[in-house]
Amino acid sequence: MKPPSEDHDLIRWIDGEMNDAERATFEARLKSDPMLAKEAEELRALSAGIQAHLPAEMKIPHADFFNSQIQVRIAQMDLDESRQKQAGNTSLADLFLSWIRQPWFATAGAVALAVLGFVWMRPHTQDTSHSLILSSYTPGLGVEASTYHDNEADATVLMLDGLEEVPSDRKISGISVHRSETEPEVASTTLFDATGSPLLVISRDDAGHPLFLTNTPRG
Amino acid sequence: MKAILPALLILIPGVNLFAQEKAAPQPLTVVKPATEGKVWGALIFATNDAAQLIGSQEKAPAHLGQLNDRLSKVFGFKHFEILGQHQQDIFREYESWVVPSRDLFLKIDSNGPADNGGVKLHLQVWREQQVLVKSDAVLRAGSPLFIGGPKWKNGRLIFVLSLERK
Repeated sequence: MKPPSEDHDLIRWIDGEMNDAERATFEARLKSDPMLAKEAEELRALSAGIQAHLPAEMKIPHADFFNSQIQVRIAQMDLDESRQKQAGNTSLADLFLSWIRQPWFATAGAVALAVLGFVWMRPHTQDTSHSLILSSYTPGLGVEASTYHDNEADATVLMLDGLEEVPSDRKISGISVHRSETEPEVASTTLFDATGSPLLVISRDDAGHPLFLTNTPRG
Repeated sequence: MKAILPALLILIPGVNLFAQEKAAPQPLTVVKPATEGKVWGALIFATNDAAQLIGSQEKAPAHLGQLNDRLSKVFGFKHFEILGQHQQDIFREYESWVVPSRDLFLKIDSNGPADNGGVKLHLQVWREQQVLVKSDAVLRAGSPLFIGGPKWKNGRLIFVLSLERK
């Protein structure tokens, strides 16, 4: 086995990398060292045989071949580095992807979407099960109307505030109407009590105000 | 026979004409207007002083449940008394009056059925010849409308309107 320094010189000599002075010095050594000369001859023969089976020069695919190869290699190194960082723990994304690949996932997903759609689209029964005041108008000065739904009473309230108080000495009495008959042609309605006796006939005057045509019990 | 047949043909229309003159007059047909449902309306006196009650024996329909308790939760009074009440059809094409009292009553115009049940109504609350409020509302069965009216005798007059289930 030759020392590395000598091997190195031998290779440089075979490859023609020595300048004239180096080559003269080395060739002088070859003449004085038959063993080195024999090894040099064998290496030269081997090198000649290899070169004989290889093309003298290889054509570069494109002008930017080397730069692109360097960039590809850098990208591969970055990718390898990121994979090494993620290798320590199994990511949620990988877990999710493994779920998606399950054969039952499509069916389960469709069912889940249907349930969500039903919940979202279903009527809001709480909002539409009770009566509503959509709008109100109070023509009287100082009279205000407020509306709300009382959940405890389960009733819709239309509160009129600012109304003129009914005098305490005024008697308010009611009637009990069980049936009515309306006559559209004359725009009148007759109200009857439980025995079928007429209580009241209500119509409207020219101004559209209610007009009672029959005397009824009043306080 | 040939001579008699033309004479019979001439007489038959005359007989029919005579029969028409003797026919009884047709009775007039009473057509009930189309309705959207039926409401119950009541004028109620609310007070904390039992001595102010007038002693009315009117009762609320069963479908309203504990009406006094429900009224108490809204208006805060202890005693409630139905002064008058009125069951009334809601006419589809004509106005309807709910008159439990001549002092405070209601005019109703139907605006047709409401989505998800109930009836769309235009309401007018009248106090004799004065309209107190005009309102557009949706009235649904089981959900009465409480209208807080004027004060009276340290209490308050309340109008209750409820849609009856069909």
